[in-house]
Amino acid sequence: MVIRLYWLASRLARGKSGRTPSNSRLRVLLYQMVWVASLAGVCLGDDSAPLHVRVDEAIRAAYDGPMAPRSDDAEFLRRVYLDLTGSIPDVETTRLFLNDPSSDKRQQLIDRLLSSPQYARHMATVFDVMWMERRGGNRVSPDEWRRYLRDAFAKNRPLNELAGEILAADGARRGPRAAARFYLDRDAETNLLTRDVARLFFGKSLQCAQCHDHPLVDAYVQEDYYGLYAFLSRGYLVSDKNLKLDVYAEKADGDVKYQSVFMPEETHETRPHLPGQAPIDEPDLKEDERYEVPPADKVAAVPKYSRRERLGRLIAEGASRDFAENMVNRLWAMMMGRGLVEPVGWHHEDNPPSHPALLTLLTDAFVASRFDVRWFLRELAFSETYQRSSLLPEGVDPQSIPEDRFAVATLKPLTPEQLAWSMMQATGIADTRKVQVAQKFRSEDPRYDDLLNADPPRQTIKATLLDERLYTASKGDIGRFVGLFSGLPGEPEEYQANVQQALFLSNDGKLLGWLSPSHQGGQANLAARLAQLETPAAVAEELYLSILTRHPDNQERALVAELLTDQSPQDRQALLRDLAWALLTSTEFRFNH
Amino acid sequence: MKCSYACGTAEHRIARRQFLGTLGAAAGMATGGLGMLTHPATAQHLEKSGKRILMIFMAGGLSQLESWDPKPGTDTGGPFRAIPTSVPGIHISELLPHTARQMHRLAIVRSVNINENEHGKGRYIMETGRRQEPSIDYPRLGSVAAKLLAPEDSPLPGYVHITPGGNGFSKGEAAFLGPKYGAVTLGNGQPPQNSVRPDAIPSEADVRRHQLRQRVSDHFARRRRTAETEAYTYSYEQARQLMAQREVFDVSNEPQKDLDRYGTHDFGRHCLLARRLLEKGITFVKVTHSNYDTHHENFNFHLEQLGEFDRTFATLVEDLADRGMLESTLLMVISEFGRTPRINHQFGRDHWGKAWSVLTGGCGIQPGAVVGKTNDNGTEVVDREVNGGHLFHTYLQAVGIDSHGEYDVGGRPVPLADPETEPIKELLL
Repeated sequence: MVIRLYWLASRLARGKSGRTPSNSRLRVLLYQMVWVASLAGVCLGDDSAPLHVRVDEAIRAAYDGPMAPRSDDAEFLRRVYLDLTGSIPDVETTRLFLNDPSSDKRQQLIDRLLSSPQYARHMATVFDVMWMERRGGNRVSPDEWRRYLRDAFAKNRPLNELAGEILAADGARRGPRAAARFYLDRDAETNLLTRDVARLFFGKSLQCAQCHDHPLVDAYVQEDYYGLYAFLSRGYLVSDKNLKLDVYAEKADGDVKYQSVFMPEETHETRPHLPGQAPIDEPDLKEDERYEVPPADKVAAVPKYSRRERLGRLIAEGASRDFAENMVNRLWAMMMGRGLVEPVGWHHEDNPPSHPALLTLLTDAFVASRFDVRWFLRELAFSETYQRSSLLPEGVDPQSIPEDRFAVATLKPLTPEQLAWSMMQATGIADTRKVQVAQKFRSEDPRYDDLLNADPPRQTIKATLLDERLYTASKGDIGRFVGLFSGLPGEPEEYQANVQQALFLSNDGKLLGWLSPSHQGGQANLAARLAQLETPAAVAEELYLSILTRHPDNQERALVAELLTDQSPQDRQALLRDLAWALLTSTEFRFNH
Repeated sequence: MKCSYACGTAEHRIARRQFLGTLGAAAGMATGGLGMLTHPATAQHLEKSGKRILMIFMAGGLSQLESWDPKPGTDTGGPFRAIPTSVPGIHISELLPHTARQMHRLAIVRSVNINENEHGKGRYIMETGRRQEPSIDYPRLGSVAAKLLAPEDSPLPGYVHITPGGNGFSKGEAAFLGPKYGAVTLGNGQPPQNSVRPDAIPSEADVRRHQLRQRVSDHFARRRRTAETEAYTYSYEQARQLMAQREVFDVSNEPQKDLDRYGTHDFGRHCLLARRLLEKGITFVKVTHSNYDTHHENFNFHLEQLGEFDRTFATLVEDLADRGMLESTLLMVISEFGRTPRINHQFGRDHWGKAWSVLTGGCGIQPGAVVGKTNDNGTEVVDREVNGGHLFHTYLQAVGIDSHGEYDVGGRPVPLADPETEPIKELLL
């Protein structure tokens, strides 16, 4: 691994000097990076072992208290489905997996899910929520943006490349239009963009540093804020009359000066630089050679040298350790329920990671993999740390284990989208829609359908097309969940239970309608399947497997049997509806455990 | 978001000390014990104070000339006269005879200049005390009250909005305070969304399904960490309590004679509901009266609309006073802006944020006060100009909240009210 890092470092350094004036500081930084990485390798033992093994070693090395055992198959299945596809599995998948005797079925499942269309869809949601934070705005269609992200994750584009494209985007000439949503739907407001780029891409909540060095966090200095600001400050929003689009254009001049509110008499000036790094060198162009398209009324200016393009390129070239570390931490948090640096977005010396060597190890590996998200998530999912149960051994007080030791799986509240998809999956509405979508697809053009059925690569294309249609058919329902369960625009998503949500889950007519028997599209939903089952044991089995993705235990079977004794057909249907509702609204369903 | 009102402001207080030049001392303290240095919020105290707020929102923009600042006999005054009120020397428009008799309980600010003529932006200023900024969204007054004044564990919402239109939940109004403090909208006075048990589920079945839910959840909670699961379970408890108290939202429980006194129109019913909600412990009630956006036929519209408003509002003020609630209930009648002194060729008045009026009264407000002045034909403020920030400070101070306090928004201190402005001291008791 160390060798791969050296290779990367030299490649990056060469890449830099090839295109821009040499940057010795960057090379020093990369050298140091590799040096630290090799030290970490020594500390963490065998560096040829797969990453997931080394993750587990690092977690075990940092804690010697009691740990939860490995999750059982059901717990694992539900968790990995939610984390990698955004929904619980369908009941048939659950049956097959639980009955599968093969010893490597977890690895097989992980690989299957990571290459599914649902993985790309789910990751698009995760990154949409992370980067747009539920903001409205329609300069770039939210659907176009979502499809852009989906496509990126389906192709497993390196994350540095994707982020670089987004950070360089202007909505017209550079990158696809969708990539500019981050800027355009923040109204291209420079301070807001600086803060959000710092926090979401570099893991540094620099907002205080807009007006002065952070009073408590030594590392959050005003100089870094304005270094980043300088990449963006030449940008401006313009409604281009030729393109008929809002564009985040850029001028070729404008320098950044700032004062601290504490020392207003002292003015500082800075060229652009990444947090903690030296200002970049910039080409010195003659006044009359600075523009490809000069600024004019309702015309988006295009400079020959773009600072924003430079920012994007620095990220794409891997020049920022902060970026890599922040992304690693956020992906870790997505899988494990909390960041190694917690809260995410607050990387600084006084808020050290819970496992410093592990964060270094993960970041090195992620960089060395060339920011390969699919590989990285696969390694995390393979780890025993990820696969640990959320259930502690008898006699161990859950509160006695520090949350940041990862000794027991963290309960993760389902995101609004996960909750919506999972409820649709559990009740059968998702399966009904899948059938309807496929039927409609075929009826529209049977020959095209045949063509797509011909071989596995084309089947993958079809699966993606159908999944997009399923998404479109479900958008309204997902929207209702997002409306009630999401955080607020411009705020990091945070779990909060409130009365309005509980009222919705208790009394919403449409939601309760999903619990009535239906056979649409020749597909029986959960209630219809339950109605046809005769023995209470079969009912209990179908209920628990469909909704909670596990078999009922003896007590639960007995309860279902007891409740179903001597019921009239009508009462039986109502009872089954209420039982299903109780499982759907239980904490076990509400959390990814 | 962490939002520990006032106690999370430590960093900035220190920062300010540095700014003031006591650098050495402050630097030493920066590492520990800051929480103890600042005086913790009086939030707990406020929770029990029972302070409430009633906002009447005159949507579209009430004309100050046809209400609180008439200019009869001038080129801008229009056809209506001014009448005396229960406070000697204060005159208001003849369209408000009942309100005039309550003037000794109310106060007028006649010098509002928000310098904004767009509906959305004006409303934002009037409800948050700030201009809209792209980088941060501020909570509306209702959400602020829900956060800082309402009891934390009540199943009833802290912020209720009665308005024509549909039911809903506007969590966005809470901004960084969190969705919990959003506005529960009672569209046309209907009870909150989803607060009715569906007919298909009889009450025994409802009890049963919740018991089953609890049983599954208890099974799950054994041997697991429970802080977040408990909040979820508790939300159902609150939902059931709210459903059980649903009659709180049912105005038909009020005596028929009160319905008659308030008027049988929607606004009458909505104001009676507002009285009921305030009595039942809802902290912030907003009633929207629509619509005053009178670009055409300003005078006919105001005659009609204020005819509906006047008696109902005056009855509500009188009732609150009679029931001893006015001392603990701050009220305000606001719009997104006023209307132009110039009368356009369609006998309308247009948007006008430059020189207009706001009515307030009750808790913490000097009764019978008039603050500020416009010139003879109302085209300019000539005395004691204030904007949305001053008003916002004043509302907070009136209900006992230190408007100079700060929120902690993800580690960043955010002042409760615009630090560029101050409370209107002469309006406060």
